[in-house]
Order: sequence, then structure tokens, then C-alpha cells
Amino acid sequence: MAILVINEVSKSFGSLQVLKKISLEVQAGTITGLVGPNGSGKSTLLSTVFGLHKIDGGSVYFQDQPVTGLPPHRMYQKGIAFSFQIPRLFFQLTVLDNLLMAAREHIGTKFYGALFLRHRWQQQETQLVKKAGEILKMLNLFKLVNHKAGELSGGQRKLLEIGRVLMSDPAMIFLDEPAAGVNPVLSREIYQKLHLLCQKGLSILLVEHKLEMLLDFADYVYMMDSGQILLAGKPQAVISDPLFYQVYIGETKNAAVSS
Amino acid sequence: MYLMDTLVFISIFALLSMSLNVEYGYTGLANFGKVAFFMAGAYTYAITISLGLPFYISLIMAALIPALIGGLVSLPALRLREDYLAIVTLAIGEILRIFVKAEQWLTGGVWGIAIPSIFGGLGLSIEMMALANVLFSWGIVIIIFVLLRLIINTPYGRVLLSIREDDIAVKTLGKNPILYKAQAFMLGSAIAGIAGGFFAQYIRYIDPYMFLPLLTFTVWVMLILGGTANHWGAVAGAMIVEMFNRGSRIAKDYLVLPFDPHNVQFILFGILIILFLLYRPYGLFREKPLKTGAEVEILKWQSSSSTK
Repeated sequence: MAILVINEVSKSFGSLQVLKKISLEVQAGTITGLVGPNGSGKSTLLSTVFGLHKIDGGSVYFQDQPVTGLPPHRMYQKGIAFSFQIPRLFFQLTVLDNLLMAAREHIGTKFYGALFLRHRWQQQETQLVKKAGEILKMLNLFKLVNHKAGELSGGQRKLLEIGRVLMSDPAMIFLDEPAAGVNPVLSREIYQKLHLLCQKGLSILLVEHKLEMLLDFADYVYMMDSGQILLAGKPQAVISDPLFYQVYIGETKNAAVSS
Repeated sequence: MYLMDTLVFISIFALLSMSLNVEYGYTGLANFGKVAFFMAGAYTYAITISLGLPFYISLIMAALIPALIGGLVSLPALRLREDYLAIVTLAIGEILRIFVKAEQWLTGGVWGIAIPSIFGGLGLSIEMMALANVLFSWGIVIIIFVLLRLIINTPYGRVLLSIREDDIAVKTLGKNPILYKAQAFMLGSAIAGIAGGFFAQYIRYIDPYMFLPLLTFTVWVMLILGGTANHWGAVAGAMIVEMFNRGSRIAKDYLVLPFDPHNVQFILFGILIILFLLYRPYGLFREKPLKTGAEVEILKWQSSSSTK
């Protein structure tokens, strides 16, 4: 069953058409990968579908409900979480506070609740803290729990960004290069963890340049170039396609025209 | 007496500085129209008290009306980027002042309004009245101080701080930043309004010329020197700047200098701000991590899970 259906989505920045009627589907409980050369529109697709950019045309369905053009915070409430390619953390806040920010339906984040339902949100927070602790242990960030996020290294920031996404118990996550800047052992661990979560029902749409990760963990792969989808299929099939080599590793423009 | 007067003015500025701290220090909203909400509070107090309402109702109104104005202003203004918000709020300050000057039937125009003191009918001596004012104003400061600490050290405060850090990331985490910004703006305006209401009550006469944009900048200086996003910083900044201001006025009479020390203070403040921004941009008091209780819970959780 498709959890996310993207139907002929278009997006232009000025005169530059970045997405040209893109259609794709993400099956529930799978990892679906997007590959393609830089500037092919992968990240734009994720952020446009998530509502960070105004959508120019087409429609998006999530769990059979239309979600086209909803703002990001509404998408989040529907059960989709989004992780940026370059981490956008709250640098003056502690690592723990960064994670707790991602909690869904936290009564203490409302003005009224914070002031008058102190007992209730404190209980909620105790539960959330446990969950945050588990995530931090998994990401090897626990020793920095009460440090400011701004004190973390580049790779650790990326990990925290992933952790923040996991914190919200989403039905689906959009990940933009989850393993970029993370050491090989840990990035494999992240993928293993994501794979495990998928078996429990999480669906993932991600951008990834590391082919070995896609081969090992992705269930389905779309290859994009110049705002269009060129290839789709099982990772093994896509990666061994001659067109893939031409476009992704060889000369981009000629291949796109000849296709 | 002069000391008492100084104390009252410090408390008024402490309130203003705390209110700017909510907006700028915690939420990152650069409000350059603080004086407008201060004035709105003062006039609301003056008008409602002249209608015969008791002072506490007037003081509450002096918080509500500016909060309402703040809410209305924030609807279009908060969608703008930081620097544009600064320009818009600056303009609103002037618009409101011109409105007050023009609408004589309501505000007395340039002739202003006289306001009775709360402590007027009690037959107190001048000294006792001054003391009563000091206690009353500092009582308000303490209440607001405690309240703000309660509000900020919660998940709600965490959202405000996160908006200051990166409002797009907040959006992707399921919270609507516009809503929170509007609330912070209203809260800040309400506190500024209370300060205005008390100011009107204390000074017993207000006119539009008391609410020039300079006041806004004075509050900014206080907050920057004291330290943004720190509750003590806002109060300390108000104290330092106001004492410096008054000190230089007194020094004028006792020191024989080739220049007027009261004017020199403006130059000194300029230098001080530049020095602070260069060497201590966070002010006298540094921002502290939030205390929501989570930072303690996590350590408890760690020790309980590692002993298992």
C-alpha cells in the first residue's frame, strides 16, 4: 500500500524549473531512495512536498488524504517528519532541549498548559526524557546531553538532526542525506536502525549519494535528473542500468537529452 | 526623596526591559516600538481611571489594551523578516503617538491628562507616598519577574528560544512560529503596558511628548548591557543605565569640567555599547540553560538505567 503518493508535482524558482511534473509513490514500511546528480531536484522535491516551498502544481496524498500545499507544521501533525541536509539545530539550546522540542502534542508547549498544567506536562516530560535518553544512547551523544548543540562537531550535529526526527514517532520521515558527514561505522548503524524502524511500520523517503547504503537498505530507488525521474526500480536494477552510469557518474547533459 | 524617585524609575525601566527581553531576548523579535505600548498602557490607565474605575482594574486594562494592540500589530508585522519588523514597530510607535496627539476628545491631545495617585486620598505625607510608590512598583517588578521565570522555564519557553534560534526548524517540528511570536509580542506589550500604567499613576500627568522614540532606545541599551535572555540581566541593565543617567545629572552640579557630564553620558553609552558588542556581546549576565526539570530527570534516568 502506498503511504505517500506524489502526483505531477512541479516547482520553479524564477525562470528555473526545478521539478517537472514529478510523480512517485512510497510504499508503507519501506525505505525509498532518491539518487541523482547535484542540482537534479532531489532536495527540492522533499522540501516542496513537505510545504517548505510553495507548490506550483500537482498533488500530494499522505495516507490517502490530500495534503497538497499544507504548511510544514501541519504536515508534521499529520505524521511526517523532515530532516535537513545541513542540520538546523537550536544551537543555544542543549542537546536534550533540541530533542524535546520535537515531541508531538506536548501540553507544556502551549502558553496555557505551561503555566497552569505544570503537573501534567512535567509527567509528560519525564516520559519524553526517557525516550530522548534512548535515542541519545543509540547515537553516541549521551555524554553531551546537557551541552549546547552549538558545541557539537559537524557529524554530531547531523546525528542530532536525525535523533530529533526519531523523537516525534512519525509515520513517515523525509531524510536528506542522513549519513553525510557521519563516520562509516555509525552511518551503517543509522541505516540499520532505520531499517529496523521500517520493519515496525515506519516509511522513509530519503536522498542518498552512497550507493552501497542504497544497495543494502533501500527497497526501491528513483533516479532523478534535471527535475525529472529517469529510472525507477529495485536498487540493484537501477544502479546496474547503463543510463545510471551515464548520468550519475559520466556526462550529465548529453545523457539527459538522449533519453 | 530623590533616591525614592530613582528607585521608582528603575522599576519602571526594569519592567520595560523585561518586556523587551521576552520579545527580543527569548523570541528574537526586534521591537523598536516599545514606547508605543508603554504609552498605550499609560493612556489606558489615565482614561479608565478618569472614568471612575478602581486602580487595579485600570492597571489590568493597561496590560490588556496594549496586548490587544500588540496582537493586532503582530498579525501583519510578524510575517516580516527581523529587520523589517524593527522598521514597522518603529513606525507604529510614532503613529500611535501622533494619534494620541490628534485625538483630543480621548487623550487630551498636547495638553495631556492629569491622573490622581493611588495613594492620594489616604492622607499620607509626601515621604510616605513616595515609599508606598516604591514598594508598589517593586512589588509589580517582583511579580512579573517570578511569572516570567515560571513561563520561560517550561516547554513553552523552549519553543520561544527555538524560534529565536531557527524558526523554520520550529515549523518542521510541528509548531506554528507565527502563533508563538504573536503570543510573545502580546506578553511583552502587556508588561510594557503595566509599566506605562504605573508610570502614569506615579507621574500624575502625561502628555504625548513624554513618549519619544528615545525611550525605546534607552530600553534597548539596558537590555544589551544587562544581558539578553537573562532575567537578572534585564533588571540589572535598567538599574545601571538609570543610575548612570541620574548620576551624571548630579555630577553636573558638583564637578567642574570643561563639558557637561550629562551630555557626555550619551557619548559614553555609545562607546559602552560598542565595547560590549565587541567584547561581551551577551551582556553582563549570560544566558543560562533552561530549567524545565528535564535536565535533572535525564541524569536520574541515566543512573537508574546504568545500575540495572
